[in-house]
Amino acid sequence: MSTRKPLFGLLGLIVVLVVVFGTLSPAFFDERLVLFPLLRDIAIYTVVGLAQMVVLSIGHMNLAVGRMAAFSAMFMGLSYDRLHLPLYAGLCIGLLAGAAIGAFTGWIIARTGVNSFVVTLAMDFALLGLIPVVYTALTANAAFTVKPDGMRELRQYSLGDVCLGNVCGSPAVPQMMLLAVAPMLALGYLYHGTRPGRELLLTGSNPLAAELSGIPTRRRVVTAHLLSGLLAGLAGFMLAVATGSFRATIGEEFLLPSFLGAILGGTAMAGGVVSVIGTFLGTSLTLVIRRGLELVGIGLEYLNVYLGVILLLALSADRFLQRRGVKS
Amino acid sequence: MIVADQLVKVFPGVRALDGASLRLEAGSVHALLGENGAGKSTLIKILTGVQRPDQGRLLIGGEAVTLRSPTEAAQAGIGAVHQERNLIPAFSVAENIALQRLPIRRGLVDRAHMRAEARRILGLLDVDLDPDVRVDRLSVAQRQLVEIAKALYGESRVLLLDEPTASVSPAEAELLFTVVRKLADSGAGVLFVSHKLEEVFAICDTVTVLRDGRTVLDAEPIADHARDDLIDLMVGRSREALSFPPRPPATQPAVLELDRISTAAGHREVSLSVRPGEIVGLYGLVGSGRSELAKALLGLEPIESGSVRVRGKNVVIKDVRQALAKHRIGYVTENRKEEGLFLDQPVSRNIAVTVWGRIAGALGHVSPAREGELVSMWVDRLGIKLASSRQLAGQLSGGNQQKVSLAKWLAAETEILIIDEPTVGIDVRTKGAFHELIWGLAADGMAILLITSDLAEMITLADRVLVMRDFRIRGELDNDHHYDRTSQAVIRLIHSKEI
Repeated sequence: MSTRKPLFGLLGLIVVLVVVFGTLSPAFFDERLVLFPLLRDIAIYTVVGLAQMVVLSIGHMNLAVGRMAAFSAMFMGLSYDRLHLPLYAGLCIGLLAGAAIGAFTGWIIARTGVNSFVVTLAMDFALLGLIPVVYTALTANAAFTVKPDGMRELRQYSLGDVCLGNVCGSPAVPQMMLLAVAPMLALGYLYHGTRPGRELLLTGSNPLAAELSGIPTRRRVVTAHLLSGLLAGLAGFMLAVATGSFRATIGEEFLLPSFLGAILGGTAMAGGVVSVIGTFLGTSLTLVIRRGLELVGIGLEYLNVYLGVILLLALSADRFLQRRGVKS
Repeated sequence: MIVADQLVKVFPGVRALDGASLRLEAGSVHALLGENGAGKSTLIKILTGVQRPDQGRLLIGGEAVTLRSPTEAAQAGIGAVHQERNLIPAFSVAENIALQRLPIRRGLVDRAHMRAEARRILGLLDVDLDPDVRVDRLSVAQRQLVEIAKALYGESRVLLLDEPTASVSPAEAELLFTVVRKLADSGAGVLFVSHKLEEVFAICDTVTVLRDGRTVLDAEPIADHARDDLIDLMVGRSREALSFPPRPPATQPAVLELDRISTAAGHREVSLSVRPGEIVGLYGLVGSGRSELAKALLGLEPIESGSVRVRGKNVVIKDVRQALAKHRIGYVTENRKEEGLFLDQPVSRNIAVTVWGRIAGALGHVSPAREGELVSMWVDRLGIKLASSRQLAGQLSGGNQQKVSLAKWLAAETEILIIDEPTVGIDVRTKGAFHELIWGLAADGMAILLITSDLAEMITLADRVLVMRDFRIRGELDNDHHYDRTSQAVIRLIHSKEI
């Protein structure tokens, strides 16, 4: 296959960087202060990357990925604050809201045929206006601070708290990681083993041929955006749990990492090719670099420069590999 | 003024030109005739520097020249208006006319000069167009005139027009002819390629006929030839249709019937029927509405009136998915690269796309084993050559790609198959194998509607031939697989006078 996914390269790069950063700054291996929060961030941003990956699979984009997370988190906060629902009931309501806003966006795109870039950008603006209004109307300081039972535990507990007899998991791995592993498994199965998943890929590969092969392409466009909204909602929940409150600013920093993780991992911008593991590794790479640079003392101002350069290189490589694939 | 002498051009598997000659004189309008695949397009590509001949010479004003690019052809005074549109819609008329050689002054486009020059050429053509208006505001015919003006920009003395009236109204065509006539009278040489014999007789002075890449009539005055003579020359008597073992006549009732269908695309009162085990050919020139009919049938273009019957029942087909799942109708598309295949996807997915619906279990689970089995069965049956079913479709040869796009419909267990231009761009040997395959499908009871512009293919395969022109069925012929008789009857129908 010419659509080689650069997974081993990524994995190798991560290992090398971990060793380098660990040597330069032994504090890198501190389980509670570095690894635990790093892996928690990786879990959150992997889900963010997956939210972008599902729309990239049909050759679309979701520029509203962050705002959809905020929209979803808003419903979660509301259910805890007003309805006093338990943690996971509120999560479900929020995910439904995220799926709904995603599906609605997809429906507009499928219905009008307007480019996903434009539609999701417009959706981003609409939500940008809507969400603060709701928070201002319903909360005192622009955040739902009620903490339902189990939220603190979810934030702090690691696999070290899960024991089978005498054998306990690593205290460096947060339990929240399970919230990233579950969608990874589900999406992996969707794309490799099911009809709708393959139909998403073929819709991304060649929409016209897909239509002419009997794939319900419009329905698949809605499916992809629905999943994107759902995953954005999940990422919003995870970030809110990690930071302790449901607020309007959740998801503000999701957009760039969402592309970075997915595309570094070998998902094609043009559609038709995805990699779930790749999205996880791509996200891990960026966060390892970020955390490592912080620890070895590179200031925040240069950090984004490095990240920007990485994105640029990854995108060029994507384009290059694609061209080679077409030629051969 | 321009002479092509014994040109030969070989593409993999086909001799597109095999001793083609052409003599174009100044001050005359010269017709270039030939059936689909006779080599007209290749000849024009050589004259405009797009391709270079393998053998033979090109002479301009008595001197041998080599044209390496369209720019060199333009410098040699050859302008061309191609079949496909080459204007930039968002640019002005003047910008489009001058696009290839923009007048530059001090590093900037000399707009005044450009506009003046555009106005001069439009004046030459006696066309009243504002050079500053954007091209997307113009009618099709006006755009055609801008294309001619563009071809004349610089000092073009030779103008090649490839099917210039394919998409314009009769009145607009008249205007075009006046312009062409004027150009010739002012000393230019015009090469006129058209399928419409009425036009050719109305406007041309001399005629060259190509057949199978050879010149069979070399620059003779058109007045010396009757219309039927030219048709005979175009079709020829040399080619033999391949023959396959006869199939039993299709006696079962028709499974697909169109009854007086009119569509938004422009079809009027189209009726046809196909029985199981029958190959019905739909012949016509490019743009006559055949593929559009197939697409309307599959719900991709609205049907305005008339009825579609499948297995005797009136149906309304919404989309391809429904056509496949409910009616077992498949459509092998004309452009395999754009419409038929997923080039960046593995062959297995390209074939299995139509069967997932059938083999998917709960939650849409597709068993890889079941899928692999089906794929390898069809790869074997059609003799698709590949390294592994994980190979990407884009890496296969044209013939194998076409087999893949056919395989997906066979794997879907369709009973009615619409096959659109199955062997375009495929080498001769694979073509024969394909014909055998299609013949075999019909022998096994498949109802096949075959759309093709390849007359030999049509006569080899079809039991009946329907001739379509301008989105209407112009006639129906029983095919006795006898090349001479049938081909001439078909061509007569194509070129018959407006009814």
